[in-house]
Amino acid sequence: MLFLKKVILAVLVCVFVISGFASRIIVNSYMSDPAPRQTFTELVKMFEEQNPGYEVVVNTFAHEDFKTLLRTWLGSRNAPDVVTWFAGERMRYFASRDLLAPIDEIFTNGFGNEFPEAFKSASYYQDKAYFVPQSWYWWGMYYNTEVFEELGLKVPVTWDEFIDVCETLKVNGYIPITIGTRYLWTTGGWFDYLNMRVNGLEFHEEFTAGKVAWTDPRIRKVFEYWGQLVNNGYFLENHSSYDWQTAANDLFSGRAGMYLMGQFIKDVAPDNVKDKLDFFRFPVIDPNIGLYEDTPIDGFMVPANARNKEGAMKFMEFIASQNAQQYFAEELGRLAAHRNVPAVDDHAQDGLNMILESDGVMQFYDRDTDPQMADRGMNAFVEFMMFPDRLDRILQTLERERQRIFR
Amino acid sequence: MQLKKKQWWVPYAFLALPLIMYAIWVIIPVFRTFAFSFTDWDGVNPDYKFIGLQNFKDLIEDYVFFDALKNNFKWIIMFIILPVPLGLGMAMLLDIKLPGHKIFKTLIFLPMTLSFVVIGQVWAWIYDPRFGALNTTLEAIGLGSLTQAWLSNPNIVTFSLIGAAVWRQIPYMMILFLAGLKNVNQSHVEAALVDGANSFQRFWYVILPALRPSMIIAFTVSVIDSLRAFDIVYVMTGGGPFNSSTVLANYMYIEAFNNYRMGFGSAIAVIQFLITFGFIVIYVNHNLKKEKEM
Repeated sequence: MLFLKKVILAVLVCVFVISGFASRIIVNSYMSDPAPRQTFTELVKMFEEQNPGYEVVVNTFAHEDFKTLLRTWLGSRNAPDVVTWFAGERMRYFASRDLLAPIDEIFTNGFGNEFPEAFKSASYYQDKAYFVPQSWYWWGMYYNTEVFEELGLKVPVTWDEFIDVCETLKVNGYIPITIGTRYLWTTGGWFDYLNMRVNGLEFHEEFTAGKVAWTDPRIRKVFEYWGQLVNNGYFLENHSSYDWQTAANDLFSGRAGMYLMGQFIKDVAPDNVKDKLDFFRFPVIDPNIGLYEDTPIDGFMVPANARNKEGAMKFMEFIASQNAQQYFAEELGRLAAHRNVPAVDDHAQDGLNMILESDGVMQFYDRDTDPQMADRGMNAFVEFMMFPDRLDRILQTLERERQRIFR
Repeated sequence: MQLKKKQWWVPYAFLALPLIMYAIWVIIPVFRTFAFSFTDWDGVNPDYKFIGLQNFKDLIEDYVFFDALKNNFKWIIMFIILPVPLGLGMAMLLDIKLPGHKIFKTLIFLPMTLSFVVIGQVWAWIYDPRFGALNTTLEAIGLGSLTQAWLSNPNIVTFSLIGAAVWRQIPYMMILFLAGLKNVNQSHVEAALVDGANSFQRFWYVILPALRPSMIIAFTVSVIDSLRAFDIVYVMTGGGPFNSSTVLANYMYIEAFNNYRMGFGSAIAVIQFLITFGFIVIYVNHNLKKEKEM
């Protein structure tokens, strides 16, 4: 009996020791849409095959919930080892509070060797790297090519041409521009583009940093252009009832003509609709102002309180490698941040070309500015889109908020 | 029941474990929230400063806070006016035990088995302005003029949300009153019948007073539930459009967790606590006094 107990004990000890050999890396991800989630799972399998002795556990969270859960993880003593997140101000918010681990060690040949210099400022804080960019995507005016063909519409380049397209769509019973504003960020895209087209990149950067008043006449001009679309009824009616995916159904089914949206709209498009979707650059308002676009960059970072930093760095190195970047981009039709990865298909090449021909980029309204200001701002955008006559009051209220938030 | 002196500790021993858990998970966090409301903690940074009443001063100047308060007020009023009488009415009807009453009880009870998130999502589809069941039904029966943008119109959006919540609250009240009705002394009702009371008088003078304990619970629960409303608001409108349907719980959540203002969010929570506490204290006190008088 005693001998049997010893055998059992020995077996248990062996099991524990062997399982202890597999170093466990915990990754928390917000890729809850089916396509990226599947691809990321396959990427993780590739890592485990190339690095036996590491076991990766991926916890996936709904995209919106992740944003609020992240701060609890970073603050706790039991943080995950790697997390997905956004570059730029959103990353710097945590880096500046010492909640992230610097990752310079994984760029053996320097950041600029593997990634575009343009992405450096979005991945660094005070000369240390905290962020590995994985993919970025562009925003553009997506349109239903079948609808355009039916009405004989050409892709508009200038604002006046764009208004003509909207009018033609409306007169023929289509919804010119669909949008779902139940969850506010879709309005941020419109504000970004209108501001960048009317006032340029430097002004937009200063504005999102809270250095310009909402009551400034240059901001008012932005709302004048926006007002043209609102007052002519070019937006989907009752857009605040819909989330962005429900509103996208109008574009997919051919009820609507256009949707200002990120490239990921293709992720949720039904297969038979994917080929009917194309995009064009947001129309030019002032030909003297450069072409600026929103290109949010997604990637990974390592919490300062990660338990398995060594495993985390290994995983980050893998994510930054050309093979991993290429795989992820190819499966999802996105653009890899890695400079040596070619564009995967014509659609991605079009996006890449548009950005290569641009003069500068921003991340996105709610990533570039203070979260509180973004919340008040985007709520105000929805109010403006529903009640454009309230513009004066809206701008004054926002200005008071700005002074309180950036004081 | 007198316990022997040797066993005086027995009740406390039984209560100890749940009391400790209650203290850790409820009492202590409440006090900590009170403490955080006097700081500028952002929920992330381990360093934060004591700022006294600044959060509360900011609240007084905050238009969103007053919108939330107004909406909470609407929720409380509607939750008192609708689910309690309707729940009582259904309980009275089902108590008559007409054929099929068990099936009706089950069907009416079903909404209570659903989570608020599911209720919110399904009602959001019902309220869809173009394809939702509500508007398409109205048009089909010729009442197309009554169709609304249920979740977009800032004037009615809160009432739309309350509608979905009341749909779920009525069965809750019904169950409460069905249980209360079982405790009504039937001999009192028969005595009233013999004395010549009609059904309304029997209800008003015999049954209703006997339901007083159930009434207390019903009103208290309704007020608490209306002040707690978060899931329905968050799922159906996110507090929009532009905060016109936000309530204190929703506003607190967004400020504390999305906007990195944990101290400010705690201040909102404190206000919500005080309002709830005030209602409960006033109402329970009033009724306890009346009970003692009886």
